[in-house]
Amino acid sequence: MLGKSLLTGMAVTLRELFRKNVTEEYPEVQPELGDRFRGGRLDLVVSKCIACGLCMNNCPNGSIKLKTVKDENNKRQLDSYIHNTGLCLFCNLCVEVCPTKCLVWSKEFAYAGYSRDALVFDCMALDRERIHREEQSQTTEEKG
Amino acid sequence: MQTQTFELNMGPQHPATHGVLRVVLELDGEIVVKATPVIGYLHRGIEKICENRTYVQSIPFTDRMDYLSGMNNNLAICQTIEKLMALEIPERAEYIRVITAELNRIASHMITIGVLALDLGGWTGMVYCFRDRERILDLFNSLCGARMTFNYIRVGGVGWDLPEGWLDECRRFLKDLPEMLKTYEDLISGNEILQMRLKGVAPLSAERAIAMSASGAVLRASGVDYDVRKANPYGIYDRFDFEVPLGTSGDNWDRFYLRYLEIIQSARIIEQALEQIPEGPVMAKVPKMIKPPVGEVYHHVENPRGDLGFYLVSDGSPKPYRWHARRPAMINLQLLDELSRGTFIADVVATLGTLDPVLGEVDC
Ligand code: SF4
Ligand code: SF4
Repeated sequence: MLGKSLLTGMAVTLRELFRKNVTEEYPEVQPELGDRFRGGRLDLVVSKCIACGLCMNNCPNGSIKLKTVKDENNKRQLDSYIHNTGLCLFCNLCVEVCPTKCLVWSKEFAYAGYSRDALVFDCMALDRERIHREEQSQTTEEKG
Repeated sequence: MQTQTFELNMGPQHPATHGVLRVVLELDGEIVVKATPVIGYLHRGIEKICENRTYVQSIPFTDRMDYLSGMNNNLAICQTIEKLMALEIPERAEYIRVITAELNRIASHMITIGVLALDLGGWTGMVYCFRDRERILDLFNSLCGARMTFNYIRVGGVGWDLPEGWLDECRRFLKDLPEMLKTYEDLISGNEILQMRLKGVAPLSAERAIAMSASGAVLRASGVDYDVRKANPYGIYDRFDFEVPLGTSGDNWDRFYLRYLEIIQSARIIEQALEQIPEGPVMAKVPKMIKPPVGEVYHHVENPRGDLGFYLVSDGSPKPYRWHARRPAMINLQLLDELSRGTFIADVVATLGTLDPVLGEVDC
């Protein structure tokens, strides 16, 4: 019968009407992305980094730029560490190659900005901020 | 009365062109006289980029070719490199590869089906396909932390072992799949309007399909029984029992419906793989710096879009001397002109949808 299939289609829509919604209440409810999620910035733990440069050399897209200096004991140290997320492929090769496991993903996914510069992160400054925040929360805990 | 044909640009910025494809249509009223695809808007020079990268570094770039089936692309490039190095892969990794590749095939075909419905004006159909595909993307996300650009399959195995409960989640998806397919059948493929729009439009003969080196569902819709998984089994595909669905007339309907049937076969493969998957390591011993012996290799796999092949030439250094991809979407797209001639302008969208190019791969 002509038009029967259209009614079948309507029945599907009707059935779905009474199903539970699949859409998420974003941004009130943040999605559960799991512990393997790769996204956001690279959080560098500067104290663990041995400045070997493997992460930079393994990056397929030149997204990591680090500079090193020699200290008084002739040991290599990080001078600067820039992660340009605008170039990043989120391929995880840098995280996997790091011998001291001092790179982790910050896992945020909403960091769009008004210019390309907003996608470039100074990982050493971020690490200093993180340490500072931790220290502060520790002192407030002690006081409280 | 003398009439003139006129030219109309379809795309490049138009959702029905599946990316950034421009088709220059020469029209006689509503009838297409000539359809010239103009490609290159998404060209990034991936082949040249990869010739300046190490072998391992080229894997994430393949994710960005056919971005709807990253796993299959990863699989293809990794198997090519492994062939060049004569590397053996652990059993468990082989099974994981098959499961993820077939899941990705299902996800990709869901898009094809849904987007075709959308192209023909059926918004609702698209939504259900995208909703169900989300289940697969969630599985992939918990597996490797990415939803589309996976870089999961690596030279020597896979990047991560399956997380806890992943196999059960996968089984649950397979259990729900028949219901999803029934929804598509009721809503999309069973729809008379869709059938009338597709049946008998833009038929492709088997001879022409072969002459134009079509592959994948486009070729099989014309009745040619050629699937790389059967014709030239790679990995462990020879261990699974599945059929290769074939069409008869090669019209838009056959090309469309074949994708629906292929989902069912992919599910069969996954079911068998889930039963047989052994425990064990997921990564072979691979040197830190991969320097394959001097030589060349060609390897091809069955992508959701067709026969995807990689040609690599090694000069013994850490970087490939030549890195070439045979991209099925690009080759299938060449049929657009031939198939569209004499059809209505509205059918061009349908024909394009059933040829199913992904412009990331066409332009590469
Ligand atoms: S994820 Fe990949 S592209 Fe991004 S910084 Fe690390 S190695 Fe480079
Ligand atoms: S690989 Fe790790 S230790 Fe080496 S420079 Fe990079 S972050 Fe530091």
